[in-house]
Amino acid sequence: MIESLKQQYNIEQKESRLFKLIIKKEEFLKTLSFISSSSNFITLSQIACADWIEDEIFKLNYILTTKERDKNLMIELEIPREESKLPTLLNFFPQAEVMERDLHEMYGIEFIGNPTLYDFALENWKEIPPMRREFDTLAYVNEHFDFRKGREDNRDVKVEIKRRRAEAKRLKNANK
Amino acid sequence: MNTKLDIKGTISPFNAITKLFEHPNTICYPSVKKEIPKGYRGFHTNTLTDCIGCANCQDVCMNEAIDMIPIEEDKNPKNSSGCIPRIDYGRCCWCSLCTDVCPPSSLKLEEDCIWANDNSNNFLYMPKDK
Amino acid sequence: MQTNNELIKIFHGPQHPGITGNMSVELDLLGETIKGARTHVGYLHRGFEKLIERRTIIQAFTIVCRICVPEPDPNEENFARAVENLADIEISQRAKYIRVMVLEMARLGALFLWMGGQSGSIGLGTIGQWSVHDRDLILDLFEELTGGRVYHMYIYPGGVRRELPNGFLDRLSQLLDYLESRLPLYDNVFFDNSSFKKRAIGIGVVDANEALKNGYVGQVLRGCGIKRDVRKDNPYLVYDQLDFEIPTFEGGDVYARAMVRRGEIRESIKILRQVIKQMPEDGLIMQKIPKHRKFKLKKDDTFVATESARGEFAYYMAGDGTEKIRRMQVKGPSLIHGFTLLEKLLIDEELSNVAMIMNSLGICPPEMER
Ligand code: SF4
Ligand code: SF4
Repeated sequence: MIESLKQQYNIEQKESRLFKLIIKKEEFLKTLSFISSSSNFITLSQIACADWIEDEIFKLNYILTTKERDKNLMIELEIPREESKLPTLLNFFPQAEVMERDLHEMYGIEFIGNPTLYDFALENWKEIPPMRREFDTLAYVNEHFDFRKGREDNRDVKVEIKRRRAEAKRLKNANK
Repeated sequence: MNTKLDIKGTISPFNAITKLFEHPNTICYPSVKKEIPKGYRGFHTNTLTDCIGCANCQDVCMNEAIDMIPIEEDKNPKNSSGCIPRIDYGRCCWCSLCTDVCPPSSLKLEEDCIWANDNSNNFLYMPKDK
Repeated sequence: MQTNNELIKIFHGPQHPGITGNMSVELDLLGETIKGARTHVGYLHRGFEKLIERRTIIQAFTIVCRICVPEPDPNEENFARAVENLADIEISQRAKYIRVMVLEMARLGALFLWMGGQSGSIGLGTIGQWSVHDRDLILDLFEELTGGRVYHMYIYPGGVRRELPNGFLDRLSQLLDYLESRLPLYDNVFFDNSSFKKRAIGIGVVDANEALKNGYVGQVLRGCGIKRDVRKDNPYLVYDQLDFEIPTFEGGDVYARAMVRRGEIRESIKILRQVIKQMPEDGLIMQKIPKHRKFKLKKDDTFVATESARGEFAYYMAGDGTEKIRRMQVKGPSLIHGFTLLEKLLIDEELSNVAMIMNSLGICPPEMER
């Protein structure tokens, strides 16, 4: 089955049972509806999103699985980080509902046509979506939580080594 | 709904009654203690005559549980920084990565693993010298 | 919003003995019958995926096991395999066998724990006490092998972390004999129990026609008579060299899923026996991997899947050429089962069946909110 898809699309084989297809954002709906209806890649198993902040894009991987569950096809597309929008896949796969809700909350991607983009795991989250790379977890933690007292005597080992070397040198010189 | 009488399914659960007369599997803690196998990931120990104060353990610890503390009395002349690790057991997850990366293998985990205290601030732990 | 006070809204969970983990289901009730359901998660959000982006690979390793408490090893296996893919590490045959052994022991443990949960959800508490004890014996072996009872942190990129202790395989095989001798007891008291059958048959029926398309995994599929298992369909480690069956059962209801799991306990024991017999005598358990801050992934992405005791765990992982992982996205079996499927199955069920259905779907919140 993958053979006939390979004739139409530029599919790269990553591993023995893992394939990859890179598409443009504009071809997104057409490609997914075609592959899911006319090949045996009928299931959507995951929508994976990675933030490539240096290129100003999100890379989304729609991972489709065959009916026999023996092959996976990653369909990759790029969308801009700002005002990221994509049409929903709810019409093809009901399981896309919760995956899109997750990505909407964690990355702020708008899935047009999905009516269930309400809170997923975070309640009343007012800041930038947390999985975006510009969200600084450490700063957030430092602002919202206290650290345990009594650990201030921690020493920086590099500084300490330098100090001891200098001291030893001084002693040596004094002894001379 | 199936209304046929399921005789086997009604009687067989009463097999459980036989277990009433068996010796219980639980042990009577604390008078009987469970034997802890060798290699259990319990508290840390640190052989101070070997520790070189390199802070590799501090670097690998993703929970930032390790502080490097100046040593009171130099036991290892090779310890270039004069510091040894102290561990915050409120943060440690006993992954034992710190013992894996320790160059002279001075940091180890022992079998002992029981500690009760009513104040979480008392969980700063100086590894025993072994 | 109902104004005629016809429906009552209750929250099933997060503090409820019948809920599987820290989550809740918002139910609209008409008398005892559920008319609407919505899953809420977020009580257990620990931000694993975000934390992993800040850590080096070795540091990230300690976090993945926390994604599933009863059975952490499939997560470790997924993580290790994804890292090995992206760093081009090939592990030895012996390490593969040890991993299979650990995975199957964990599966057995999780299935025994499930037995306790499922029977507890219909009020058969005795079985829970037995099965949790039997699971404890498996945990004792884990303790000896890995140094930890629940979070083993044992399967590591490049192999496994420790050599088998002396005589470990003998003790494992004794334990398997013991567990096998216990199985008729569980049959008598649980699986053949007429009160269990009365409660479970015809409850929570999954539609077999749309099961594959909607992405259900694990026992939900196999309980519909559809033979799918990552271990067979997309074999990893040495599963293609082992001889085992995939138990299936017709019906798609709670009882069918229970019977599938009953078969799986036997298959796991069978696999473990073969592993004990075929375990290679020598071989590196751990490949040489770069030092902590020098361990880098190439700029690429990969997708791996492992069959856990509740279904398929799948990881997407992307590296960016540095010592940190650019992105690791977890998809556990509950993500689909807990939302799309559960919300559908609960409609027109009775309130007292919620715990039973959730248990039989194996819903667990940590992998939904990661
Ligand atoms: S315990 Fe080991 S790793 Fe830590 S400072 Fe000492 S020698 Fe270095
Ligand atoms: S065992 Fe793990 S968490 Fe604990 S101090 Fe060592 S590296 Fe840190």
